[in-house]
Amino acid sequence: MAAEVYVTGMGILSAIGNGVEENLYALLHKQPGISEIQMGKKRVKAGRIPLSDTELIKLLDVKQTPVSRTSLLGMAAAREAWGDNRLSPQLRTGLISATSVGGMDLTETFYADYLAKRPADFDVLVCHDSGTSAEHIAGYLGITGYINTLSTACSSGANAIMLGARLIQSGRLDRVLVGGTDALTQFTVQGFGSLMIYDSEWTRPFDDTRAGLNLGEGAAFLLLESQRSLEWSGNQPIGRVGGWGNSADAYHQTASSPDGKGAVLAMREALGSLSPADISYINAHGTGTPNNDGSESAALISVFGDTLPPFSSTKAYTGHTLAAAGAIEAVFSLLAIREGKVWPNLNFSNVIPDTGLVPVTEPESREVNAVLSNSFGFGGNNSSLVFTR
Amino acid sequence: MIRKASCCRFTSEGIFVNGEKRFTLNHFEEELTEVYRQLSVEYPKFYKMDLMSKVSFLGVELLKGVDSELALHREDEEVGLLFANSESSSQTDLRFEESYTRDGLPSPSLFVYTLPNIAMGEIAIRNKWYGAHMFSVFPNFAAAYFADYGRLMLKDGAKRVVGGWVDVREQPDAAFFVLDSSLLENREEALQVLNQVYSNH
Amino acid sequence: MASAALKEQLKKQIIEQLNLEEVKVEDIEDSAPLFGEGGAGLDSIDALELIVLLEKHYQLNVTNPEEGKQVFYSIDTMADYIEKHKA
Repeated sequence: MAAEVYVTGMGILSAIGNGVEENLYALLHKQPGISEIQMGKKRVKAGRIPLSDTELIKLLDVKQTPVSRTSLLGMAAAREAWGDNRLSPQLRTGLISATSVGGMDLTETFYADYLAKRPADFDVLVCHDSGTSAEHIAGYLGITGYINTLSTACSSGANAIMLGARLIQSGRLDRVLVGGTDALTQFTVQGFGSLMIYDSEWTRPFDDTRAGLNLGEGAAFLLLESQRSLEWSGNQPIGRVGGWGNSADAYHQTASSPDGKGAVLAMREALGSLSPADISYINAHGTGTPNNDGSESAALISVFGDTLPPFSSTKAYTGHTLAAAGAIEAVFSLLAIREGKVWPNLNFSNVIPDTGLVPVTEPESREVNAVLSNSFGFGGNNSSLVFTR
Repeated sequence: MIRKASCCRFTSEGIFVNGEKRFTLNHFEEELTEVYRQLSVEYPKFYKMDLMSKVSFLGVELLKGVDSELALHREDEEVGLLFANSESSSQTDLRFEESYTRDGLPSPSLFVYTLPNIAMGEIAIRNKWYGAHMFSVFPNFAAAYFADYGRLMLKDGAKRVVGGWVDVREQPDAAFFVLDSSLLENREEALQVLNQVYSNH
Repeated sequence: MASAALKEQLKKQIIEQLNLEEVKVEDIEDSAPLFGEGGAGLDSIDALELIVLLEKHYQLNVTNPEEGKQVFYSIDTMADYIEKHKA
């Protein structure tokens, strides 16, 4: 029998709250975190965290600067997930962090200064590398040993959880902090703008009139433990990572295939020996783009047929937080289990005629035993996770 | 007896397949187009790719040329892709950034490549490989990552895993190799083979 | 009716902007669909690059992909659009 992977800690910082309880409150009270922001020359609707870098540095008592916003968000979430746990030579502890933008926020400032011939801080360039945010976060908590940075676009956060779970299951690590972090930067705002993939209004996942996504920023981490680690720490499990799947869509660099083949494969792999009927709630990728939501709907129908469980996208709350999404939504999935609730798909009004799928639109009390969470990334990297009691 | 892995190595000196030099590289980016033409691949999307994706694409095409088992797989989930590097997509990141800071026109075709896993995506699209993908960032070539995670991918259903280390700044530093169960059975041996693949140049 | 010179120039610019290395100006027919099978085989990212091209070389702003579908149907439609919207 495969070894259990327990979740014993959660940490999160998103546009709807600082910490698990604030996020929970916002979910229950349908309070989205999307607002209009100015990023350089562009104005877009996005899920920005109302804390400046200076405030974060102070809050976290960070000593080593320069430090990128991506690292700061990650530190905050990882610190919450780690909680009161102590390091020990008895337990092999690791950290796996995912990011897509890395230290780009600082690099942008560097290049602006450099090009304008203002004094430019070359130390800042050290932060550009994606790998540094994982090192910063690990350093902040004193974790040495296995440190890994993943970068697989919007499925990164889910893949970090998957990699951590696999390492625990195969006996390579006893416990591991896993998650993702991405800060809003001019780079991403300009980039997604060039793809003409935004909704200039508040995003409408799975709605027939949907026009695009709203970006978001944030970070979330889970603490995963093996049976052995659990016995040593005495922690109470919040839930388990019950299954995972990763597949390629092999269709296009940024668009998903019409039938969602990669998504179907990932979901089926994550279900493993569970049947579709065992799933109580699905937290969809649901970015609000015409392409994703159509493709994901087709994939959901393929896997679940007539017995589709309650489902929703929570991206109308937080925005699309890129590499953090899989981890943020993992926290929301575990909260669903803990609270016995399913979360609403905000801003939904019109059913897509081709699919007829209706997401949950109010927070509902339900018995939630197993949750499927989807994260699909550019490059056709599709990941699904199953969380159980 | 140490198994050998089918491998393709890009260095400042050239492109080596299973240890033998196949192409010389002097001016790198331009010469990749020449390599592409010589391979008679017929895949015009190649020209739109960024440097990291071009190197990865050619590396895998060359691997298919010497690993007949790999070449047999098409339209299936049995080939996994496991890549890593030290610089993520930073070369293209900087080019994209220039497109909006200097030129005022953010380029969508550049933006697409500002994620390191897109290189694997291109290979998957080309070969219709639906297996798992993973990309990590490490300061140096990490044989343990390929050995350990490759083993997990093979355990979970892949028949073959194509590993890739792809650094492409001014000089290329890339290695592509095929991993299968027998190669990864003994971890110590696997680490030796992988380190040899990388350092024998 | 837009000029042959403009169409020739457009073809060159498209080949350059979209990295269509193996395509020559002679290969692109004026009225043939640019997108989908058969034509120049352009895809959705190419469509976005064409929007950039119009802005860069002609200072014209196509603001949404839907409008783009009409404008970018063929060389003829692109050239007509440019002629119509030039000052």
